[in-house]
Amino acid sequence: MKTQFGQRVELNGALQHTTKIHFCTEQLALKWAHCTICADFLSQWYSNVLSAHSFAGKLNDAAHSISYMANELIENAIKFRAGGDVEIEAGLAGNLFVLEIGNSISSETSHKFQELLEEITNGDPGELLIQRIEANAAGESSGSGLGLLTLMNDYGAKISWRFEKKDTMADSPVHLTTVAQLQLH
Amino acid sequence: MENKDAEYKVWAEGNVVFFEGTMRLSGTDAYAPINELLVKTLAENPGSIIIDLTNLEFLNSSGINLLAKFVINVRKEAGVAIKVKGSQRIPWQGKSLPNLKKLHPALDLDIA
Repeated sequence: MKTQFGQRVELNGALQHTTKIHFCTEQLALKWAHCTICADFLSQWYSNVLSAHSFAGKLNDAAHSISYMANELIENAIKFRAGGDVEIEAGLAGNLFVLEIGNSISSETSHKFQELLEEITNGDPGELLIQRIEANAAGESSGSGLGLLTLMNDYGAKISWRFEKKDTMADSPVHLTTVAQLQLH
Repeated sequence: MENKDAEYKVWAEGNVVFFEGTMRLSGTDAYAPINELLVKTLAENPGSIIIDLTNLEFLNSSGINLLAKFVINVRKEAGVAIKVKGSQRIPWQGKSLPNLKKLHPALDLDIA
């Protein structure tokens, strides 16, 4: 069973300069610092690729934006995963940086996250961001979703989420694939 | 306040709180000491506070949320001037700091 949320840009052809990073979590004592290490690696890797292919935009801006986006999404994968590995795939389609992250989440997390996505993917992300910051400061929400809203509003990222359940058991884990696309300027 | 890997440094001098390095802490609890420093600095220097981010290369959304919450608390107190200093050299600041001004229009945002 599949459920889909969010937006994505249809690509013309395959991704170029693809890298795949697989966190084998049983062997790796996964810790918070791994988020930023991995994000900075992707940022340096792709700014190097871009500079070698005469990227006409601002390289510093592209590098920082890739790092911010990768860090936010890897933080989410590490924070909400329910065991299992974390798989990361990145690539370029022209000046579009594409990041795909797969991880397993619990049925309960999946349910809560889908409710959140219903809210934050319907409406103007700029207004939703301010509303959620206000609600969070007033103690009415947990602050979750702010990272995604900053990506959508401040960075113009297109993000989509695919939830897949392998069996029909109500409490079996759900595989979540997050695809984020960032136009580099 | 420094973390053991020295990735970031936060300290106060008078009514100015300086942030430096890369701050990507794991959530509200991890940012609590930073919030305490902001609150303490304002308590010791009533009337005005300056947040200097000109050397803060990266901040994750949990950290942006911490700043936003602090700004909202300042907004509630009449007569407190708040200034946030940023740098055009650091891309996240131009993208995300204007949100603070939306939350509190009287905030003086200086991205030089």
